[in-house]
Amino acid sequence: MPSSASADPSTSRSLLPAPGRGGRRWPTRLIHLSGTIGLPVALVLAIVGFGIARPATFLTASNFKDMLFDSAAPAILATGLTVTLVMGDFDLSIGSMLGLGGAGAVALMSLHHVVWFWAIVIALVLAMATGMVNGVLVAYAGGSSFIITLAMSTILLGIEYLFDGEQTVYSGVAHAYTLIGQARPFGDINVQVWIALGVAIVAFLLMERSEAGRYMYAIGGNREAARLAGIAVNRYRLTGFVVAALAAAFAGIMITAQAGASTPNAGVPYLLPAYAAVFLGTAAFQEGQFNVAGTIVGVLFLEVISTGLIMLNLSTAVIDIVQGGILVLAILGTRVGRKALQRAGR
Amino acid sequence: MTGEGPAGAPLVRLRGIVKRYGGVLAADHVDLDLWPGEVVGLVGKNGAGKSTMIKILAAAVRPDTGHVLIGGKPAALHSPSAATRLGLAFVHQELTLVPAMSVAENITIGPGSTPRWGPFVKRGAARRSAVAALGRLGVDLDPRTRVDQLSVARQRMVMIARGVRQQARLLVLDEPSASLTDEEISHLHAVVRSLRGDGLAVLYVSHRVEEILAITDRVVVMRDGRVVDDRRAAEFDQATLVRSISGSADAAPPAAGRAAADPGAVGERLLRAEHLTAPSGVSDVTFDVRAGEILGIAGLVGSGRTELVRLLYGAEQPSSGQVFVGGRQVRISSPRAALREGIVLLPEDRRGQGNILGHSITGNITLPNLRRHRRLGWLPSPSAPRERRSAMQMIDQLQIAASDLSQPVDTLSGGNQQKVVLAKWLLHGASVFIFDEPTAGIDVVAKAEIYALVVKLAAAGKGIIVISSEFAELVEVCHRVVILREGRLVGELAGGAISEHAILEHCYDAT
Repeated sequence: MPSSASADPSTSRSLLPAPGRGGRRWPTRLIHLSGTIGLPVALVLAIVGFGIARPATFLTASNFKDMLFDSAAPAILATGLTVTLVMGDFDLSIGSMLGLGGAGAVALMSLHHVVWFWAIVIALVLAMATGMVNGVLVAYAGGSSFIITLAMSTILLGIEYLFDGEQTVYSGVAHAYTLIGQARPFGDINVQVWIALGVAIVAFLLMERSEAGRYMYAIGGNREAARLAGIAVNRYRLTGFVVAALAAAFAGIMITAQAGASTPNAGVPYLLPAYAAVFLGTAAFQEGQFNVAGTIVGVLFLEVISTGLIMLNLSTAVIDIVQGGILVLAILGTRVGRKALQRAGR
Repeated sequence: MTGEGPAGAPLVRLRGIVKRYGGVLAADHVDLDLWPGEVVGLVGKNGAGKSTMIKILAAAVRPDTGHVLIGGKPAALHSPSAATRLGLAFVHQELTLVPAMSVAENITIGPGSTPRWGPFVKRGAARRSAVAALGRLGVDLDPRTRVDQLSVARQRMVMIARGVRQQARLLVLDEPSASLTDEEISHLHAVVRSLRGDGLAVLYVSHRVEEILAITDRVVVMRDGRVVDDRRAAEFDQATLVRSISGSADAAPPAAGRAAADPGAVGERLLRAEHLTAPSGVSDVTFDVRAGEILGIAGLVGSGRTELVRLLYGAEQPSSGQVFVGGRQVRISSPRAALREGIVLLPEDRRGQGNILGHSITGNITLPNLRRHRRLGWLPSPSAPRERRSAMQMIDQLQIAASDLSQPVDTLSGGNQQKVVLAKWLLHGASVFIFDEPTAGIDVVAKAEIYALVVKLAAAGKGIIVISSEFAELVEVCHRVVILREGRLVGELAGGAISEHAILEHCYDAT
């Protein structure tokens, strides 16, 4: 078919400029820009703002180390969640999984005299089994991920109570275990920061640079098209739930290692911030797309906001309201921007 | 050429209706009159323009030019509810009921249609009104039954009752007899006759020629967007009606596009289906495809064509029957398994299933081929430059009109989207290519290009299956055509015997 492509006028002329190219009017460009660097810019602005307001306390090396330390476990939790969300599945059981992972490991050591290493292994195996059950029920049996994992969340809380008897456990925790929360191997930075960094890098490479990551994005883009392209959709979705559960359990282990103790039902408060971070992350690097790097920036942004607000000596009530408000505005902002783009024909 | 109706003025007059979709003229200066107390049959092939006319009456689309008169006055068909107010009622081909609601609730649904007391529904009145509407159809149904517990036939009756209750003056029935048994159909016909007796105008759309001749007073035949015949039903018999539907110019010899029905070029058997049966509507289908052969699968919408090829591709599972690839029996449990056996499918729903629309051209083309684009042999990490090179090569080979490899596929025209799907599978490689409606919604030039590619693939020794509602296309490219009707393989044509007329005869069971 020589030169037939030129005979199809409906195509070449109706092409829209590709992302990143010129020739666009400024509102469109601004919205696109806010979709890729909106969150990083907000993070910088928040740091600058709090830095000006509280230079002596906020702008210190020790404060930044503390914020990184506090972000480590939430970052791992949110990174695992990103993998399931990329494929379009919700996992609401990760909060309880975090609680069970931490409390389970501590209770095994303290109440059941299991060696610390095996306590961790058992907690992670439990997480893997949970992820598989979630995955089988959602991907293979076709259950709604929302409801299945919500129910799983309650089940996991019950299992946690079986381990710790709804008690705070603070004795009999192995020294080696607490090192996971307290060692500072390099540069006076807590080992948890290094662990989180390692997890984030591995997850980033997996999602952005591997075949599996491409398949996962394809599944999130169009599940049926991915299946018809020969991708083992259900297997990947199940893997996503296993990854999310493992990440949650490990984050729980990290949190209990910090204090050398576990408190009952400690996981659920971590659930909402994890979702917030992942959704905020859609306004970073890959517009409108869940992505690991964006998630990490989202976690850091939430940490900076909450630390900064505390340093302003605001009441807890005000902090809660401001924090919630920022979340709503941020997520609304990315949605509103996207809708405007859709109306404009992208 | 408008047939004579009963005495008096027509209820609905369509005048000079033109509707264009892209490069396709779906309605080309259509005139149509509908009188009260008359049942008019509207027939034509898939894509002849019947649906367009119904959509215009239902105010689902607006004509480019032309107008609709109702009761002699220009009708302002701005919205579906305006059509309802003007007394036009529609029973669409798809079931449009709320499954979890009762018969009464479904019949009385809709603004202005529900008996109310303030914000509250008068349940008793609604039930009585529903019973009255059903009674008019001679249907005895408990109005409290949930509609998802009814048979398809009864659900259709509920839909008709809803139309009747809207004080309809024109009732449009789109394929009302689909999936009904003979007995149910004869009951439906009795209902239609009684409505005609009440002075309703009825527009009856059906693929079944026999049924059209039995129930209608007048038959309007559409072809390529034009009304080509408009006569009393008594003036037709089955053969003449089918001829009118298919067009008499069909005697022309097959076009040169066919890689000639050269049996010598056809090689060994690549794929064979034996007694394939599935609950989705495929019963006992047996056929095979040979190397270098283009096999057409013809049939009307709903005949089981798509369901059949989805079985071959593992997208659905057969309840019984076998598939052989190269003489070896295989179980195709998933699309992955089909790919391993060298079978690929270009699905009918190109936008929903063929491509991932938001992803780039390159990403779509290389998706099933990532293993061959690794940076290093052992590392499962795709190399972007290698992917781009492959995509570039496919774009050149298939003449895909794109300015940028990273642009999302949904910025491409339909023809180019289809080529992206093909590029993906050409790069993957396969021995059997299945094209399900490859040219739907695609302009003429892109159509020709796609069929040129199909012919080329066959010449290279691939086995090709093509489904198309445009039988003329099958006539042009296929070496052999099998025809499905109601899930069964009812005919096979080869070489010079393939003609639109012959295909239609099988489709309509008029042989």
